[in-house]
Amino acid sequence: MKPAAFEYQRVTTVAEAVKLLRDAPDAKVIAGGQSLVPLMNFRLTRPSLLVDVNGIKALQHVVWDGTYLRIGSLVRHQQIADHAEIQKHFPVLAVAARHIGHWAIRNRGTIGGSLAHADPASEWPAATVALQAEIDVEGPQGIRTVPASEFFQGYYSTVLQPDELVVAVRIPYPKFRLGFAEIARRLGDFALAGAFVEDDGGQGFVTWFGIADKPVRVHTVLPDNMEARREAWQQALGTLAIADDSKSRRHLAVQMAERAWQHSRLEGGKYLSEEAAGGDPL
Amino acid sequence: MTEQAMRPQFMGARVKRVEDPRLLTGQARYLDDIDLPGMLEIAFVRSPYPSARITGMELNAVKSAAGVRAVLTFEDCPILLWQRDSYQVGQPVLAHNEVRYVGEPVVAVVAEDRYQAEDAAELAVVHYEPLQPVLDMVQAIEELPRRVHSHASNVFYHKEYTTQGFSDAFAQAPRHLAATFRTTRQTAVTLEPRGTAAMPDPASGRMTVYASTQSPHRIRGDLAELLGWPENQVRVIVPEVGGGFGMKANTYPEDVVVVWAARHLGKPVKWVSDRTESLLTDVHARDDIHEVEVAYQDDGRIIAIRDHLMADGGAYPAYPFSGAVGETSLASRVLTGPYQIPYIETVIDCTYSNKTPLGAYRGVWGPIASFVQEGIVDRVARSLSLDPAEVRRINMIRPDQFPFRNAAGMIYDAGSYGESMEEALRLINYKDFRVRQSALRAQGRYRGIGISVFVEPTAMASSEAGSVGYESVFIRVEPTGKVTAAMGLGPTGQGHETTMAQLIADQVGVNLEDVVILHGDTDSAPFGGGTGGSRSGPIGGGAALVAGREMRQRLVKLAAHLLEAAEEDIELGHGQAWVAGVPDRAMTIRQLAEIAYTHVKRIPPGMPIGLELVARYQPEQSVSFSNGTHIAEVEVDPLTGLVQVVNYVVVNDCGRLINPLIVEGQIHGGVAQGIGSAFLESLRYGDDGQLMTTSLSDYLLPEATDVPRITIEHLVTPSAGEGGIKGMGEGSLIGAPAALVGAVSDALAPFHVMVDRLPVTPDDVIEWVTARV
Repeated sequence: MKPAAFEYQRVTTVAEAVKLLRDAPDAKVIAGGQSLVPLMNFRLTRPSLLVDVNGIKALQHVVWDGTYLRIGSLVRHQQIADHAEIQKHFPVLAVAARHIGHWAIRNRGTIGGSLAHADPASEWPAATVALQAEIDVEGPQGIRTVPASEFFQGYYSTVLQPDELVVAVRIPYPKFRLGFAEIARRLGDFALAGAFVEDDGGQGFVTWFGIADKPVRVHTVLPDNMEARREAWQQALGTLAIADDSKSRRHLAVQMAERAWQHSRLEGGKYLSEEAAGGDPL
Repeated sequence: MTEQAMRPQFMGARVKRVEDPRLLTGQARYLDDIDLPGMLEIAFVRSPYPSARITGMELNAVKSAAGVRAVLTFEDCPILLWQRDSYQVGQPVLAHNEVRYVGEPVVAVVAEDRYQAEDAAELAVVHYEPLQPVLDMVQAIEELPRRVHSHASNVFYHKEYTTQGFSDAFAQAPRHLAATFRTTRQTAVTLEPRGTAAMPDPASGRMTVYASTQSPHRIRGDLAELLGWPENQVRVIVPEVGGGFGMKANTYPEDVVVVWAARHLGKPVKWVSDRTESLLTDVHARDDIHEVEVAYQDDGRIIAIRDHLMADGGAYPAYPFSGAVGETSLASRVLTGPYQIPYIETVIDCTYSNKTPLGAYRGVWGPIASFVQEGIVDRVARSLSLDPAEVRRINMIRPDQFPFRNAAGMIYDAGSYGESMEEALRLINYKDFRVRQSALRAQGRYRGIGISVFVEPTAMASSEAGSVGYESVFIRVEPTGKVTAAMGLGPTGQGHETTMAQLIADQVGVNLEDVVILHGDTDSAPFGGGTGGSRSGPIGGGAALVAGREMRQRLVKLAAHLLEAAEEDIELGHGQAWVAGVPDRAMTIRQLAEIAYTHVKRIPPGMPIGLELVARYQPEQSVSFSNGTHIAEVEVDPLTGLVQVVNYVVVNDCGRLINPLIVEGQIHGGVAQGIGSAFLESLRYGDDGQLMTTSLSDYLLPEATDVPRITIEHLVTPSAGEGGIKGMGEGSLIGAPAALVGAVSDALAPFHVMVDRLPVTPDDVIEWVTARV
């Protein structure tokens, strides 16, 4: 379990990174390395060059301007979980962050890395789709902005070009409250099923992860009656191409949507503590 | 025996482990820390097919790759494990003409480092002609779809046993039930993977083998025999071992190839398994089916059990014992557990398949048999609407029945079966539990309690540590009065350096810190079986007691002579010998030792010079049974299928305890592994024979947050052996899975669930719960 030979270069600017990526088409960006390094050790990927972007200061900011939350791609999962303004204005993100792996993984792994890796069972791709975020990517032609709903193409697949780098995520303040829920076999594992739900009063949106090949924000009615709501979740689920389709997978998807909806009705601070008390010891 | 020996100072004390400072500060040296000048490393090209003919190999590119020193195939190293005729089949150390499981070693690439070895191994082209794999043990018994080994039946072990009078008793019983129990392949997943290094010494011609093993002398013997070398030309050194759990009791193909390569290249050679290799090729375990029929009475008394035991032994019998045989043959003999079930009829079939060979994993037969046995009792209770604790009481072997001969002819020495259960029920507040349970059910919450009363045969004459029924201890009181002892055991984390020192310090009359325990070097350790089968405490500890006592007698004799007192008046302790009642007439053990080695004219006539001896101990009984009760309280979330262990109690009886702290640590670990067995761990093969769980993101182990607080109490029913010690290395994993899944059955009783499989997954729970909606 040793990686194939590779070159390594550390950069301090996005421009340098992009130039290296352009010149070596099978180069890979390394940030936290939490997905890339295991894949290299299994020799499932064998980049000729690793471009280490950890030294790029410009990608390490979190800015809340009252309308948009802007998170630099090098921001670590744990920083998002701990960020006071994110906890206050986007509690759903802080809660989701705490479900990513374990402390060591959260301290290293980055939001940009997670988005670029596009594991359909991970939290950030679904979060960005659910929150209608925009993803800024920079390449030789400069920066382009891609709506999250168009960024993910399928399993581990995005519109990111080999010479492009995710630089930031811009998330608009949601008009309505969101809730989040996830189930994994063990604390920190990839989700068996997870969901973000936005309740716009009688209707709203559900974005599942761990269910299909990519996150999709699905419109649904949200009746007050639980049985009717269960029916709505089933209908919403019916619009997706479910991976490894099984009765239990659908069951879990419905349960997580329902749980996320329940969470969406809690106030921010209460949400953070209730969710933590609900069997998710951190 | 003198007074101190009867009132030991260290045996039974909660002594902190002397091993821990080096382990916890990262100072321990494991096999991969062995780094010798010029050392080469091996990467294996392994079979990607479960079953295929090898039609050709192209290895020139491998041979000319950077850093490569040798590329080995079976032609170079034509050695079969099992050259004896115990089985008709022996695994070639590198595949010969045919591969029979995914991960089987085919080519060994020896290079200057592991990176280069792996780079070169990728260049190997092996042509395969795939064959239909044999994957289902029930079909394999019928030789379907084909034979794994064309010259040998798929059934490599078949045995039948019937208690006299079984048929009538079974037929005449008023009630009957049937059930099939299925366990799933697991493996030990030691923190430190397997590994071997070998260093030829050109000067002496001897070979030093560094092995991560439980049985240093056994692997030396195996290697000498397989390679055809004189045994005294091989020295085995076992560095720190990060877990064995039975999995490191085997000699593996890689061990032989590493040593062969070192000899033929004249260089030190090392191979350390990576995690994927571990999951693919460490011996697997627990691949068993029990088809059971039970005859019982209206009061819950169980009369007879019929069981067809099947185990999938994998492609070859692991060397030098097959786990399939170990899991079934002993399970068939202890299937009635702590219950006085008078009749049993068992049929055993162990089969070959195109899967990894089955070996030992902590508890071997025990977790399976306990799961079946407690599952039977719970089914009887459920069918009669009786309290499961009450049905256990009715069937439990009573204290006045010891020694008890069970339906399969096994003799149980005394234990505390009923008492352990009553105490555990009290600890978990069983009396009030049913009230709590129904109150919670009314809120849609599903809690359950599972009771597992286990027996644990320990200190057996033969076990996975070999058919050596004894252990040996070499002991030397150094000229300065310090004590050095060496043993043939192979500790893999059990803390023998602490427990054996406790026993010896008491006997020799020195302080604990004055004793050093050596192990794992066949040049210094006396011959012994090693560690496995819960034998190190009762047999190894017994040998430590005997050796210590013999040394004590020598010191007493010497002191009596020098102090001019009768031997029976000499007392030893705290590094001193003195005349009873006259503490002024004393000598230090250091003074005695100095005389024994240097002023030898002062030694009494007939006493040997020096203070060195070897003692051996073989228990008179061929087995001693530990026992205990585990009770788990779980909450099952019917919405997610997840199970949370909310309360866990253990009442354990392993005879006299050497060190309760270590016993409790063993229990904690066994319960954690039990949680893995019950809810998480599963080596899954696809229909194509590929192992699908080849990393720890697929093969799920319990994590710290999955393990609850565990309440432990000890009962003490001493064995008849030295020190009254019984073994206890496996009991906690024997008891735990049955308690945990029994609790799931109890929690989901409203859904008529009776768990019949290990592990129980969220998918299973969701299936059971939604099937009733």
